Amino acid sequence: MTNSPAIEVLDLQRSFGDTKAVQGVSFEVRQGEIFSLLGPNGAGKTTTISMLSCLLRPDGGDAQVMGHSIREDPMGVKSVLGFVPQEIALYEDLTARENLTFWGKMYGLRGGALKARVEEVLDVIGLRDRAKERVGKYSGGMKRRVNIGVALLHKPQIIYMDEPTVGIDPQSRRNIVDSVVTLKDQGMTVLYTTHYMEEAQELSDQIGIMDHGKMIASGTHDQLVKLVGGQTRIDLTLNMEAGAVLEDWRAVEGVTQVSAEDGLVTVLVDDSNAVLPRLFDVTNRLAARITSVDILEPNLEAVFLHLTGRALRD
Amino acid sequence: MTRILDIAFKDLLQLTRDFKTFMFLLLMPVLFTFLFGYAFGGFSGPSDSRLPVGYLDQDDTWLSHALRDELADSDVIRLDENPNRTYPDLELLVANGDLAAVIIVPDRYGATFLKGKNARLIIIADTSTTAWTTIEAEVMATISRLDSAVRTATILEEIDAERMPFEYAFEQSLEAWEEPPIAVVETTSSAVEASDASSGALAHTSPGMMLQFAIAGLLTSAQVIVTERKSRTLQRLLTTAARRFDILLGHYLAIFTLIFSQFMVLIAFGQFILKVNYLRVPQATLLVAFCAALCISAMGLLIGVLARSEEQAITFSLIPMFLLSGLGGAWVPLEVTGETFAKIGHLSPVAWAMDGFKNISIRGLGFESVLLPAAALAGYAVVFFLLAVWRLSAAEEK
Repeated sequence: MTNSPAIEVLDLQRSFGDTKAVQGVSFEVRQGEIFSLLGPNGAGKTTTISMLSCLLRPDGGDAQVMGHSIREDPMGVKSVLGFVPQEIALYEDLTARENLTFWGKMYGLRGGALKARVEEVLDVIGLRDRAKERVGKYSGGMKRRVNIGVALLHKPQIIYMDEPTVGIDPQSRRNIVDSVVTLKDQGMTVLYTTHYMEEAQELSDQIGIMDHGKMIASGTHDQLVKLVGGQTRIDLTLNMEAGAVLEDWRAVEGVTQVSAEDGLVTVLVDDSNAVLPRLFDVTNRLAARITSVDILEPNLEAVFLHLTGRALRD
Repeated sequence: MTRILDIAFKDLLQLTRDFKTFMFLLLMPVLFTFLFGYAFGGFSGPSDSRLPVGYLDQDDTWLSHALRDELADSDVIRLDENPNRTYPDLELLVANGDLAAVIIVPDRYGATFLKGKNARLIIIADTSTTAWTTIEAEVMATISRLDSAVRTATILEEIDAERMPFEYAFEQSLEAWEEPPIAVVETTSSAVEASDASSGALAHTSPGMMLQFAIAGLLTSAQVIVTERKSRTLQRLLTTAARRFDILLGHYLAIFTLIFSQFMVLIAFGQFILKVNYLRVPQATLLVAFCAALCISAMGLLIGVLARSEEQAITFSLIPMFLLSGLGGAWVPLEVTGETFAKIGHLSPVAWAMDGFKNISIRGLGFESVLLPAAALAGYAVVFFLLAVWRLSAAEEK
């Protein structure tokens, strides 16, 4: 990882009709690091990455990708990046080798270099033995691997991965996360979008949290967690309506925030060991009973909750 | 340029792996050419192009029979005998054009003839037509032969009645006319060679079905483009060095190659199997096929860009297939639909393509006759292509 920026985004804006999909987003990704854009569906992650891929022209703002402006030099941008879309963007009636060969040509590879690189990528994604099979016959996980392999063909300096683990089984997800780490180890810069907090937490050097088209926070995991004051999250359920206890729990010493949704009450506290007995006392006085307790150390979910008042899964 | 070829090659690879491609581009047009050809009488065998002439024998003698036999052997007249028809019936048939003329052999015609008196046939005809001139000449020639044979037989009987009885001498004299001392060999211009009913029907249905199923075949080509857009493969392509215009041209080239190849195969099939004379002016047929392929390919590109799903691609292909083919005269020749419909029909590019092909294979016209149809088809191609470019750009910005 170096300090020189691979991607510099400045005040990026994009609307679709009256909907402001991206509203003045700015961030910076250093070379060799993994930067995750984290946010719920509709937060503006895909629109942002589409603009950074020169698929969409921004209404305002600009970004430099390895020194190429997305407004002024889209071909320069495209020459340094590999794009892994959320969908399986492959030709299902072609074999894996035919797909890779075609995409290699689209990236400008020819002749012996193309042939050699296709075989290398087949090895990387572990599908050389089944390279003659049509992609349409592959499992979801195998398709995902080819989907990523396509983006690696021209040895790009930067890879964009737009929610690459959506809708796949845990084992395939694990493989993809591992392959992203491998790419980083090879010196590539990765811009990764996800709405899975665990992935962002595990993979990222830097995380940008987006909501409603805005970048509401960014930094390392530790920096972000500090935003909630290192607070612990306690999820509780009651044997009665949560609304009956909320006001009393908010008054408990050491409690900083209380919210309820679908019968689950989330409480942010400074010290769970000290606060939890107090919560039980108050509940008893109200003739209610706590039926379950789940204590979660500070994480990105808590950060999102702290910043937006909503859970990330919303 | 190489990226355009790469995209076209990839599309062709995909299309050739889809059985529907062959079904719509080759099997269906061949099948429907035969079906429509049959419906239009293409298999009724060689037609009798002789002039239909009614024949009413009121004399019923050996001479009137001899006259009938001679006329029945005519290369010009086809006798249509029905003893139940009355004089007014026959007049009506001539007036309606169902018969070119009617020959009535009156009672005692033979006796009068043999006496060397002025025997008269009654003929009902429209004497202002060229058909009448032909019939008159044929009847006069036949009577002249009969007269000559009667005179010869009479003379020979007078010389040696035992060896040359009248009937024998008469037959011999008539037979002699079958090998006349002077013969005329008739031939037909190659321009009208294909105009008999059999090849005429197929000469119409062959290009009609070829064009119709070229449009129907667009559903597979359009599906490739729709799937590319739906699966976001198009978006991925746009993150490579391929430009939007390269991608469209690549798809266009693939569809064009497929349709032009289809035309070549079906033209060869029409020429050598169905005996439709496409290759009378090969460069003209080639030009029409080329421009028609340009036009239909551009339509396919537009359908691919407009359709949002595979189902829509099918619908968007089949509707123009039926609409443009029906309107453009692929099923029923515009020549028989009336002037107004023919004018409306030419809003369809199919009508221009049909004109081009039929100007060569049926109407016997030259290369110049296909220039206007070719230009019209090229014009449609440009319009469809520009619409596809505009529509794709607009769609991708959303």
